[in-house]
Amino acid sequence: MSTPVEIAQGIESQLKAPLYGMDPKERHDSLRALLKKELAYACERNPRFRNYVEHWPVDFHTADTLADLPYLPVGAFKSNPPLALVEANEVKRTLTSSATTGQVPSRVVLDAGTAKRMTKGVTTIIRDFIGPERRPYLVIDTPENLSTQGELGARGAAIQGLGSFATEVVCCLRRDPEGNTSLDLEKLLECAAKWRESEVLAYGFTYVIWTQLVQPLKRQGITLDIPNVRVLHSGGWKRLQREAVTREVFRGGVASVFGCSPDRVIDFYGMVENVGVVYPDCEHGNKHAPAFAEVVVRNPLTLKPVAAGQQGLVQVCSVLPTSFPGFLVLTDDMAEIIDYEECPCGRRGTSFRFAGRVPRAEVRGCGNLETTRYQLGQGNGSHE
Amino acid sequence: MNELMLNPAVHSPQEITCGAQQLREIAREKEIAPRTVLEVFEQWAAALDGRECREVPGLAFLRLWLRRGTLEPILHRELGPDFLNGGWREDGRARLRAFPLGVVGHWPAGNVEIQPILSLTCALLGGNGCLVRIPSGLVEITQQIMQKLREVDRSGLLTERTFIVNFDHSRADLQEAMAQAVDGAMIWGGAEAVSQVRKLPFPHWARLAVFGPRLSAAAMDAETWGDQAERSSWCRRIARDVWQFEQRACSSPQTLFLEQGAGCDPDEFVDDLKQALQEENRAHPRDQIEPSLTSGICLARALWLLEDGANRAVFSTSPDWTILLGRGIEIPKPTQGRTLSVLLVDDLSEVISKFDGTVQTLGLAVKSAQREEKLAQAAGHNGVDRVVKMGRMHLFSSPWDGVDLIRPMVRLVRHVRSQE
Repeated sequence: MSTPVEIAQGIESQLKAPLYGMDPKERHDSLRALLKKELAYACERNPRFRNYVEHWPVDFHTADTLADLPYLPVGAFKSNPPLALVEANEVKRTLTSSATTGQVPSRVVLDAGTAKRMTKGVTTIIRDFIGPERRPYLVIDTPENLSTQGELGARGAAIQGLGSFATEVVCCLRRDPEGNTSLDLEKLLECAAKWRESEVLAYGFTYVIWTQLVQPLKRQGITLDIPNVRVLHSGGWKRLQREAVTREVFRGGVASVFGCSPDRVIDFYGMVENVGVVYPDCEHGNKHAPAFAEVVVRNPLTLKPVAAGQQGLVQVCSVLPTSFPGFLVLTDDMAEIIDYEECPCGRRGTSFRFAGRVPRAEVRGCGNLETTRYQLGQGNGSHE
Repeated sequence: MNELMLNPAVHSPQEITCGAQQLREIAREKEIAPRTVLEVFEQWAAALDGRECREVPGLAFLRLWLRRGTLEPILHRELGPDFLNGGWREDGRARLRAFPLGVVGHWPAGNVEIQPILSLTCALLGGNGCLVRIPSGLVEITQQIMQKLREVDRSGLLTERTFIVNFDHSRADLQEAMAQAVDGAMIWGGAEAVSQVRKLPFPHWARLAVFGPRLSAAAMDAETWGDQAERSSWCRRIARDVWQFEQRACSSPQTLFLEQGAGCDPDEFVDDLKQALQEENRAHPRDQIEPSLTSGICLARALWLLEDGANRAVFSTSPDWTILLGRGIEIPKPTQGRTLSVLLVDDLSEVISKFDGTVQTLGLAVKSAQREEKLAQAAGHNGVDRVVKMGRMHLFSSPWDGVDLIRPMVRLVRHVRSQE
């Protein structure tokens, strides 16, 4: 069953709107109206989802604000079979999140329409940050992650999402038969020599760039000397924080091995459940919601949206998916709202800064059975 | 010792060893009769009525616990009538008398604010010195309560027997020093925390009382919840049990089983329960929450409703309270944070037959005494240690977790006279 015309047109209209130039209220109103239609459509398509929406304390048909609409916690996408709004034969691809060891990954299904809009959404956003030109694309990963078959992980999805900017694609990591990954230095230096004068796009997961590229090159005292590179990275800071690598240290390290200015290193936030939307840092270090999406930061105590300057749980909103109910997703991340109107960079609407993952509760005490009966691998019944 | 009590941070094993040594000497040299302890406790309970402590969760339970009317019968049952005066009692041709173990170490869990105090009172009643490690989050509350003890215990009878310490749980050297310095221990908490403490190098003679992780449930028969006149008051009771300790205590009900009966409407019950939870929320609103708990509550709501189209739920727009309504005879994975699963069942006996030692307390609301008798019997057979009236699930009493609270922290010395 194809997406109703009214919804498809509404999404197209948001995709064509000025990416960060809409009046915030106008943008909210149009997003809310479209999301209500999408929710109604999703309820028709999935009875489980309808059961959830029908129990929401606020009837979404009459909701006055986008924040009142029913959102799903990100953990709901770990279900198997995945939450879908399309028949199995319509699924073109399944995206999986990068769950850490022992955790169940999220799985979201894409039909042709959603996959197309995903690419369009990412391309539109990235273009706003790096310009529209095609250029050589250095993937700081192994060629295996470029595979276009079957399920696609978060790394693969991010790598492919930037593919439309590429004139040629080179992966600078290689995997040996034992599965160990290392830097293909010869290939990298060859590309660096070839691309010295060019605009270049480079992308990798944050910790992969640091451990597989920056550290080995620094150890050997090698600078690639590609001053016109744009290095995009995503995928979280948890592992690097354990090694006390701050954002500044990271940007400085990457800039020094590429021989570029640190402002050419751009961190972006994204998740497979929020397909087609990424949030790169602007030159003022803020992230922005595009015309077809929104970010609501909720006070954990009340679940109401926080005021500018306050932190809370991040909810991402997007009108792009129609193959799974990923319109309104409460994440396990924290962020601070910087402003609801405008950023000094000129982008309008909600700007925010990522503030890390939700800290795991340590105190469980005498009512905590998770390490015995329920064996869920979370919470440790600590005395602290 | 009193000064240490107000500044509990310790940094070296020596501080703990020296403090414990002082406690041991005091316990040995200055005997204290349980009756005297009860007198101080009675005054302490009265002093805790002040405004400063009123906001401490569970304080009402603590005040009730400290009353002579609560503790005297417990001492009587656990150790006999003569124990109150600290004397010997005849036992055939011998005589018996309870003596303190010496120094009792306390490892309370971090989730129940009054637990450090409850734990130490048990050992003080046995005449012991108490070395209490307070979890970081409870230092301030414990100090507030102990300050009240200082005010009433002017001669320092109990305060000089108490050494409260606080240090990071990862300080293995301090944990070990504490374990080596005690003659007994009361250990409370989750599975991992409890097993870590049990592994510490206690002296071979040390007696350990371990109160590990449990969960609790409540159950109502159809006659009770179908009774319109009584239903709302029962809902207030279960709401109170849910509210206390954020449902993180072992005695917190996670699930309420409703036995179905003719003419009983679950919607009416859920309406009353919703009102009771809202009232409780108005009376005792949260002033903070861990973001992970908020996430967990949102996820529990979603998973419940997504799992089965027949499942239902009622919840606030905030994470304040949640009712998950459905059918089922087993306790679902607890979410805590005032998230109550309400499960309709055909027969409460079937539910209880599924219980195991995981279930600590069963809160009951059953009309027929005969029926309740049968259910209590079945619960006991299936590992439940407390069967109580719904609304009183947290009422701390002895035995707890099926074991006495004071008896394990004393030694019963048997004297057979040499001339007989």
